[in-house]
Amino acid sequence: MRGTIAGMELRSGWKGLAIFGVLVLVVSAGMPQILPAYRESFTEDLEGASRVHIQVPEQQGTLVNLSWEPEKNATLYLVLEDNSSTFLTSQVKYLGNQTALSFPRDFEDKRYYAVLALFTNVSNASLADLFTAQRRLIGIATTGDPSNPFQELLDNPAYQGFSRGRDINPLQVDGFIILEFFSWWWMLAGLFVAYLSVSVVAGDFENRRMDIYLSTPISRRRYLLEKFLSLSVISLYVILVATGGLVAGIAGIGALEEVSARAVFLSLFGCLPFLLSVAAVGMLAAVLFQKVKVGMGVTFAAVFAQFFLYTFGNYTSSLAWMKSISIFHYWDYAAPILDGVFRWGDFVVLGAVAAVLLGMALWAFNTRDVPA
Amino acid sequence: MPEEAVIEIDNLTKHYGNVVGVQNLSLKVHRGEIMGFLGPNGAGKTTTLRSCLDLLSITAGQIHIFGMDSHQQAVAIRQRTGYLPGDFGLLPGITTDSYLRHLLALSNCRHADKMHSLAERLDLDLSRKTNELSKGNRQKVGIIQALMADQELVILDEPTAGLDPLMQQEVYRILREENQRGSTIFMSSHILAEVEEVCHRVAIIRKGRLEVVEDIAALQEKTGKVLEVEFREAVDLEEFDLPGVSDLRREDGKIMLTVHENLDRVIKAVSSHKVLNMQLSTYSLEQLFLKYYGNQREQSTAENPGGEQA
Repeated sequence: MRGTIAGMELRSGWKGLAIFGVLVLVVSAGMPQILPAYRESFTEDLEGASRVHIQVPEQQGTLVNLSWEPEKNATLYLVLEDNSSTFLTSQVKYLGNQTALSFPRDFEDKRYYAVLALFTNVSNASLADLFTAQRRLIGIATTGDPSNPFQELLDNPAYQGFSRGRDINPLQVDGFIILEFFSWWWMLAGLFVAYLSVSVVAGDFENRRMDIYLSTPISRRRYLLEKFLSLSVISLYVILVATGGLVAGIAGIGALEEVSARAVFLSLFGCLPFLLSVAAVGMLAAVLFQKVKVGMGVTFAAVFAQFFLYTFGNYTSSLAWMKSISIFHYWDYAAPILDGVFRWGDFVVLGAVAAVLLGMALWAFNTRDVPA
Repeated sequence: MPEEAVIEIDNLTKHYGNVVGVQNLSLKVHRGEIMGFLGPNGAGKTTTLRSCLDLLSITAGQIHIFGMDSHQQAVAIRQRTGYLPGDFGLLPGITTDSYLRHLLALSNCRHADKMHSLAERLDLDLSRKTNELSKGNRQKVGIIQALMADQELVILDEPTAGLDPLMQQEVYRILREENQRGSTIFMSSHILAEVEEVCHRVAIIRKGRLEVVEDIAALQEKTGKVLEVEFREAVDLEEFDLPGVSDLRREDGKIMLTVHENLDRVIKAVSSHKVLNMQLSTYSLEQLFLKYYGNQREQSTAENPGGEQA
């Protein structure tokens, strides 16, 4: 261990690695614990949807019938209309104390109706009272298909990007960890590895350690490969800690029958060559710029650019080619959990990307001066 | 029999963009000698040493060490070479002992006895964390790591920088011992007394070009003695313009001259007047340095083209 740069890297940095490991453990084990509360709040909204009924005629001009279950102690009902499930551009359709509403169909596209119960203290409430009144959502109905607006939300491209185009249910543990854990895991692990990969190499330039290292019979190639080896070990360590945490967390809510430990491990293991590609980018930036701050900026920018390539490619079908040049496209974390398959092809592609980037870093290092 | 060259620098040129680091420098360091490499800051000393270690990619020329190409066979060369950089940092967060053992292991050296004996002689506590060391102690770590693996060749960039005078003397002793043990030493310095005290030969570099390579003894012999006399009475300067005398001048009411030969005649000329004070000193390397660098207007590079004298 003493006779290797990789070994010394791990030895001198063990404290930082231990602290990061604890963070990963807390987050990965803690995340599934939120699911019961999350599920409860969503279920309430879904139940609400069934308390609003809608009948939509085929023919234009005929009447749409909207009715809802009365809410106890409600003084008024407010119906909002919008053509999007987000209700960002909603307009007031009705304000009154009836529990049913009929209006002629004058639209071609889809409409959403949110029905709210208002609780005011006085019977003849002013407009100002209505704004400040306590309110409760009875439910949301839509004229289109599916009639469940919650499903509509899941069909949103933003969600599709995280679920890799699959139908997922975030109320189940598999869907939940895909949406709530894996959607940002790349940022936690990826940026940690990006930071390390730049600093372990550019730090040796900046803190003038390179002269002594490269006066020992260690070639530049061996130096860089050993640094890369230490980053590989660290990446694997982070993956294993997250696997342990996530499996423990899932076991903690008694849901290991729904998602197996093996599937969790494979989902995380798929990001190993992803992390190694990030590490190789970081090392390339480190040998090109030889400064920690510059290298870090370039590497972070490169990782985020890759992320946006992927999301743009996902949101926009005409830009679908974009995602195929993003490393994010080759880490399908949902596949082992939802489909029970591990995409070895993607794994190899990312491994090859990491190897090419590492080769570029080696070449750049060999042809450059060590700054004095 | 010609002396074996351990380092053979042949027309080394190194440019940093448009800035010239070293231009057409040729130099040989022979086996078993201590070669000093003297020059002011920015003259190209560090550039030359770091080129030898393959830390820089050279613009033109070649360097051979142990007969091997400095770039192609860099790893094989470094297996037999110790190096103290002019500016360096240590791996933080570990003890000095761990750090030095790490470097020993990287050098494939299994013996730590030399490391311990050097630490003892330089009064360095190896149990201290590397990031807690003072500048002087860091320099000691640098010296130890350069010498601890008993290398055939040791390249030192300003070895005594940051050390107090007593420690400097100890380092000189250590270097002389290393040399007697068989190490060839190539060390840069801007401290003239250091080169004078330790080195056998000196190469003087200025503005990236080699000015001269001399034996220390021959150089001192050639440059003679400096005589400085203060008289009680007015004395005509021309009285001392004798054969074998140069640099005759009046300075601060004193008469100063350099004597190359006929010291006897000069002393007799002095004794014909009332002397208030007199000092005779060896023409030091410092004054020699001034001779090469002080009057730069007269001393053009055309008179002393670099790179031809190794």
